[in-house]
Amino acid sequence: MPQSLLQTLRKLNVWVAVLVGIMLLTCAGFILLDIVLRQLGSSFGGTDEISGYAMAIATSWGMAFTMLELGHVRIDLLRSRMATRGRVIMDLMSMLVLTATITLIAVQCWPVVAGSLKNASTANTPLETPLAWVQIPWIAGWAWFAIMAWLTFIAAVVLVLRGQFDETESAIGAFAEQDALL
Amino acid sequence: MIVYVSAGLLALLTLSIPVGIVLFLLGLGVDSFFSPFPLIKGLGNLVWSSSNSATLIAIPFFVLLGEILVRSGVATRTYSALDKWVSWLPGGLIHANIATATMFSATSGSSVATSATVATVAMPQAERLGYDPKLFSGAIAAGGTLGIMIPPSINLIVYGFLTQSSIPQLFLAGLVPGIALALLFVLVTALICAMRPDLGGEQRRFPLSEMLGALTDLLPIIVLFTVIIGTIYNGWATPTEAAAVGVAGALAIAAAFRGVSFRMLMESLTGTIKVTSMIMLVVIGASFLNFTLASAGLGTELRNFLEGLGMTPLTTILVVVLIYIVLGFFIETLSLMVVTIPIIVPLVEAQGYDTIWFGILMIVLIEMALITPPVGLNLYVVQGARKSGHMGEVMLGAVPYVLVMLAMAAALIAFPQIALFLPSVL
Repeated sequence: MPQSLLQTLRKLNVWVAVLVGIMLLTCAGFILLDIVLRQLGSSFGGTDEISGYAMAIATSWGMAFTMLELGHVRIDLLRSRMATRGRVIMDLMSMLVLTATITLIAVQCWPVVAGSLKNASTANTPLETPLAWVQIPWIAGWAWFAIMAWLTFIAAVVLVLRGQFDETESAIGAFAEQDALL
Repeated sequence: MIVYVSAGLLALLTLSIPVGIVLFLLGLGVDSFFSPFPLIKGLGNLVWSSSNSATLIAIPFFVLLGEILVRSGVATRTYSALDKWVSWLPGGLIHANIATATMFSATSGSSVATSATVATVAMPQAERLGYDPKLFSGAIAAGGTLGIMIPPSINLIVYGFLTQSSIPQLFLAGLVPGIALALLFVLVTALICAMRPDLGGEQRRFPLSEMLGALTDLLPIIVLFTVIIGTIYNGWATPTEAAAVGVAGALAIAAAFRGVSFRMLMESLTGTIKVTSMIMLVVIGASFLNFTLASAGLGTELRNFLEGLGMTPLTTILVVVLIYIVLGFFIETLSLMVVTIPIIVPLVEAQGYDTIWFGILMIVLIEMALITPPVGLNLYVVQGARKSGHMGEVMLGAVPYVLVMLAMAAALIAFPQIALFLPSVL
């Protein structure tokens, strides 16, 4: 059960990552077009602003994928010298700390969006982008990350209680160092 | 506060909590214990403003560029082409390792990806041609580190973002030291192999026609690099725009070499997201820590701290270098850089040093961290790719290059112009 949950989460987040990647590619395309247009004496205007929004949204939505792929760097100097049980305890603790912190971040981000909604704030730019339009997808990414983190943590706890330490490690362990940045 | 943050940093990192999360926790700690007003109210805004950035979007673009080149097999072609150009030197193929690593780092901006690529391509050749595995693998590990120095460098983008210094200026400043390091690596290898021919391999000369033929594999990469860097320096494009051009260029090159497939594109995209989110969690965490430290009055405390110590600027820099060397044994590149920036950069700045110059010095020290045991990511990557022999061989083989980097750090301190000359004239 916990394994199939983790499997589903991974599959889901691969799709999220691909979508985010396509969004970034599209953004690169827009920037290219804008450079070409500039040579011809015109411009979309505001590509900078839009790429900023794209980056914020890409950042928040990519986080859960990276977590499930064990991509968030951890220093495992002490951890790697421990026996399996010790490692599992450190992994669980570190996962709990991550989950709690991300939840806090997601909660603390809400006032930003709430403020933009209440004041109907627009960006201080020629585009006058209504900020809520871009901040809602952005905070949804952090909320998604928090939810994914809780589900992963719960799955890991179940795995540990069942004594399936190897499976726990492949779910929330430290990355294989050489794969981390490839 | 400085002591609290430093001690807390080391303790939390040792517990193997993800680096980005550690930075958030420290920021929250500074908020609860040292700040007269609640800084947590600024957290949401900070997370928004530090990721809503048209500068930082250059990071996924440069990562993607590298992913495309590596996954489409362009690296393999580059390696065999460079072999034909540089293997006449004493040390033979080892120079191709360094040259390929230099070229790839120049376009992709990631050290580890560079080392992994070169190691996978080069290792089978080493066995076939009877090279000594130590120097051969050490050269790959060391060559790969150049990725974070030679522009476009993701680490320099992050440094520029966190210290609010100009990224084009940083790129300019990194160019000369980066190329000098690559040339010194080649020189040192040639010297070692001239004295001890058994460490190198056969020197091979290729007919001019083959060398010229190999150019078709090299030119696209050289053109891509020139376009990216040239447009930034000429002021035609921002680093972000140049990165977008780079992505298109890499796709075009990959397509020309028939390396584009659906699978390769999917892998490149997910690989990019993985690396980018990893970097961004650390960067956002560092921005938050930066903000809390500055609001809680780090500046004043630092001034008092420095006056209390009575250190001259030179001693300060030497102590800082020592700190990086020691931390570099245990912590890796980006983490090392990002966790130290909030504390060390204000300290160095307070002593009157230039932040652009210090960025380059820091990069040299961080490159060294990549190939110094016990934790040297590139050493593991190369060892992982060669699948035989002992880790110790790679470490030993990297020693000459560590010494070169130390010499470069000393030279940068003695002659800041090595880094600052180009930004001052262009």
